[in-house]
Amino acid sequence: MALNGIIEIQNLSFSRGSRAIFKDINISIEAGKITVIMGPSGTGKTTLLRLIGGQLQPDQGKVMLFGHDIAKLKRKQLNALRSRMGVLFQSGALFTDLSVFDNVAFPLREHLNLSAEQLHDRVLLKLEGVGLRGARDLMPSHLSGGMARRVALARAVALEPEIILYDEPFAGQDPIAMAVLQRLIKDLNDDMQLTSVLVSHDIAEACAIADQVILLGEGKVLAHDSPAALQSSEDPAVRQFMHGEADGVIPFHYAAGPLADELLYSAGEA
Amino acid sequence: MLVQAVTVMPSPKSGARLIQQLYVVGVQSLIIILVSALFIGMVLGLQGYTLLAAYGSEQAVGQMVALTLVRELSPVVAGLLFAGRAGSALTAELGLMKATEQLASLEMFGVDPLHRIVAPRFWAGIISLPLLVAIFSLVGVYGGHLVAVEWLGVYSGSYWGNMQQAVDFNGDVLSGMIKALVFAFLITWIALYQGYACVPTSQGISAATTRTVVYASLAILGFDFILTALMFGGA
Repeated sequence: MALNGIIEIQNLSFSRGSRAIFKDINISIEAGKITVIMGPSGTGKTTLLRLIGGQLQPDQGKVMLFGHDIAKLKRKQLNALRSRMGVLFQSGALFTDLSVFDNVAFPLREHLNLSAEQLHDRVLLKLEGVGLRGARDLMPSHLSGGMARRVALARAVALEPEIILYDEPFAGQDPIAMAVLQRLIKDLNDDMQLTSVLVSHDIAEACAIADQVILLGEGKVLAHDSPAALQSSEDPAVRQFMHGEADGVIPFHYAAGPLADELLYSAGEA
Repeated sequence: MLVQAVTVMPSPKSGARLIQQLYVVGVQSLIIILVSALFIGMVLGLQGYTLLAAYGSEQAVGQMVALTLVRELSPVVAGLLFAGRAGSALTAELGLMKATEQLASLEMFGVDPLHRIVAPRFWAGIISLPLLVAIFSLVGVYGGHLVAVEWLGVYSGSYWGNMQQAVDFNGDVLSGMIKALVFAFLITWIALYQGYACVPTSQGISAATTRTVVYASLAILGFDFILTALMFGGA
């Protein structure tokens, strides 16, 4: 297989306990594009992000980042790769004991040796980019959900990473905050020549900015194509998810035996 | 995990973090330690006086109060209070950091949460508890003085004099401090481990906090017996 993707997932299998989350999946994510990973809840979208970030180790197969197999890296090398990658966690994951300014400054202080003036300017520019320069002295507990996520975004891009991973960026946001985040993600991707990987199940919002969509289901990649192609796909599972249909091949029931076997009164007795 | 957390390179920044944790873990536990020590010392003075007066030896109340505190009650009671006050707070703090993905996000910034979060809290616990135990003994002895001397009329000279004669620095004070150090290690470690390893949900954090207090209390009482047997049991 040609190694042309900035993130390459090869023959990856991963299970939690006895439950297999991924079975032998292959994904290649192109540099400079916005790729959205979608799928019903519980298909391991967040797990996939953690595998890409090296926070979880695959049972089989490998994750290649910038051409390196991350399982083979030493801790120092992994940390060096991680500094080229920003992550926006689902909860924002701001450090609650630090102000907005210090949160954004955190990765800069850790990885770069900037003077106080350089640090100050860079943090303010990043905050200006998400429209929150005026909120720099607030503590995270005083921010609304949408603001917290924007601060987290400013922090994620503070080191000017090459890849940015978004875990459910639109979940639980009001329509305005959602539109703001959508525009920020798109602008960041285009202005900084980033590679963006989003995990989401907000189909409309994600498809509006996506170049590529990867649809996961039942531990496999169901489809990997442009949003337009997926919208018009004839595949029943893809159709069901993309159009939000309650009935279809993706089961509504958690795996169980036939109902008749479990009911306590059988037809004969009644 | 223990070795990784403890072997952290000292630096000015890690020093500042340690001082901050010393404040949270140690200084903020002071009030409960001071108040409890005063009352326990007063109760010891009262009980000791009644008991000893029956044999006409109420002059020995000073030595009884001091030995009971220094050898036994200060490390154990301060340890139990510390587990409830600081241990539970450490577990809940770490658990919430895990639940809100702060630990994961540190990791993604290439910062080891064991060094950044666990290590300063661990050392703060190790340093704080022995100091709190020493303060507990001091305040307790004054509490005993208040009741026995000021209220019940034991001669102040006998209170202090008997104490001075009976309490041995190596045998009593140092043994008590060794207990304090062992308890500090147990409590802080149990608390940090429970927080770091908890299931990051509301039930998970609540269960981990409970486990911290229960395990730490049992560990204190169990190890207290073992240490007492080793230190004072033989001869």
